Amino acid sequence: MATKFPVLAELSATDVVVSHEPVWLQEWRQAAWQAYTTSTPPYWRRTDLSAYDLADMQVSAEHHGNVVATLPAGAIVKPLAQAVREHAELVRPYLGSVVAATGARYAALNAATWQAGWFVYIPKNCVVEQPIQVTIGFGAHNTTVARNLIVVERNAQVSLVEQYAGTSGKYALSVSELVLGDGALVKYCAVQTWGADVRHIGYQVAKVGNDASIEWSAINMGGLHQHIEAETNLAGNGSRVDWMAATVASDGQRLLTAPWLRHVGRATEAHMDFKTVVKGSGYATFDGMIKIEGGSAETVTRLEEHALHLSPQARSDSIPGLKIDTNDVAKAGHASTSGEVDEEQLFYMQARGIPKDEAVHMIVMGFFEPVLDRIPLESLREEITTAIANRI
Amino acid sequence: MELVIKDLHANIGDKPILKGVNLTVKPGSIHAIMGPNGSGKSTLSNTIMGHPSYEVTAGEVWYKGHNILELDVDARAKLGLFLAFQYPVSIPGVTVANFLRAAVNAHRAEEGKDPRETAIPMAQFRKEIREQMAALGVNEAFARRYLNDGFSGGEKKRIEILQMSMLKPSMAIMDETDSGLDIDALKVVSQGVNTLAGHNPEMGVLVITHYQRLLNYIKPDQVSVMMDGRIVREGGPELALELEERGYDFIREEVFGNGN
Repeated sequence: MATKFPVLAELSATDVVVSHEPVWLQEWRQAAWQAYTTSTPPYWRRTDLSAYDLADMQVSAEHHGNVVATLPAGAIVKPLAQAVREHAELVRPYLGSVVAATGARYAALNAATWQAGWFVYIPKNCVVEQPIQVTIGFGAHNTTVARNLIVVERNAQVSLVEQYAGTSGKYALSVSELVLGDGALVKYCAVQTWGADVRHIGYQVAKVGNDASIEWSAINMGGLHQHIEAETNLAGNGSRVDWMAATVASDGQRLLTAPWLRHVGRATEAHMDFKTVVKGSGYATFDGMIKIEGGSAETVTRLEEHALHLSPQARSDSIPGLKIDTNDVAKAGHASTSGEVDEEQLFYMQARGIPKDEAVHMIVMGFFEPVLDRIPLESLREEITTAIANRI
Repeated sequence: MELVIKDLHANIGDKPILKGVNLTVKPGSIHAIMGPNGSGKSTLSNTIMGHPSYEVTAGEVWYKGHNILELDVDARAKLGLFLAFQYPVSIPGVTVANFLRAAVNAHRAEEGKDPRETAIPMAQFRKEIREQMAALGVNEAFARRYLNDGFSGGEKKRIEILQMSMLKPSMAIMDETDSGLDIDALKVVSQGVNTLAGHNPEMGVLVITHYQRLLNYIKPDQVSVMMDGRIVREGGPELALELEERGYDFIREEVFGNGN
């Protein structure tokens, strides 16, 4: 059955209760709604929330999105809305365990109203050979609220692409929770290729167990506005993240990524490499924070962020932060650049006969190459590569 | 065709570096420019190729019927000019093979024709690059590495010569190609230049060097000495040997007088 939601401005507590859902989930949504309605709009220093026009949001009630997966026995990929009925014992312990239902205002709104999104469950020791691709699109109304719950148990391995794509809507509110058990290996590729009018507020958080490792690749290039708060919580001893992102913001786009890296366990290791290209009146923001918590030790962390400006009006902001609450850091490094395409590189390429436009093109595609190279599905990699090439 | 440089003046910022260079490089000849550090040799090669940091304030450079100073850098390359860089630039994310293919195809492109029509067939490109890499003693794995990214000085210079071998210029400018090379690399690089020049009797080569050493391997037909932004002496190969023996000071004294 489908529920019809009123627009956000008229939404009430009773609307967020979906009658066919288990009672525990109804209560969970109610608590989230309570948290949302009692919160105040956040102050985001680089995101102008008034430009999002959220009052018009009207949540589509049906599931929307596709999946491509070849799964070994025991592994599950299905809409979360279905999984809460069929696998409550697997969903319930984890839902909201990484991104709290009653936390940040829009995470709470997501918890109260989500209808779309995926449940991915890889049981212990299970190795999924083929990359899994899930997509989140638009339904009948202008807003998609998606909740993804990805649970990868002890020593399991999976490569997952989570793609946001669609042109028929205007708002997306997403939460992705990733739980990595001890020794798990996850490749997580989050791809945002929304149509031109979409405003996306998202939370993507991974909690990484002992000796577990996540290779996180983000592509941000669609939509009008993006505000994605991402976090890797290196909770386990010996846990690792290798985190890359490619962002392209061209005319009118304002794309923000706020990655947090939390070193909690002993001997955790992180490499972050965030790359941005801005063009026309595009504006991209990197608002990152590396937090090395007290109690962590032997931490290795490295952050690189680089921005290329292809036009004089284009802007990028980089606000990296580092907070260290321990005396035991093995290595911490940071490198940052921002500016136009290097004149020496251009001269070199033109001196080989390559026209300037093509040289710029090659330099930009080369800049993104390490990120694009990690998209596990060849067809998607080609699609994204072409889409970026057409934008620059 | 000859390369004719007429009264070339160029600045970096407000500082004049080239102060009236006159020089002709004949087709089929190897022409060496020697000079002490700071004499303007590298400025000359970069100005001929069109580096944006150098401002031409007077003069002309003629090649194949064009004053090339009026052409874009890539158009100069397409006329057949090639600059082997003293400090080759790295292009992360662009492999040697992809870069070379783009360069080869840019040379083959023709106005008004679909680039797909003029592009080198993949099999032919692979065959050529493999042959040229073998000839230069460059491991095939380099084709898949990012251009000059993390390469040693010697590796970079070999890749410069690889590019030259693939692009087959009619006029090559070697800018301090010997700097930073050990003797083995120097021999390989020189052999690459000689082989290419041997295959193309019309090819001109302008060799810019501080030391005579390179000229043991790439034998010049003519030697010009540059000082203070001008060509101050011209001669045959014997001039290089004289410079090797006596240093630059005797010419400096002859040209500028004692005490300069």
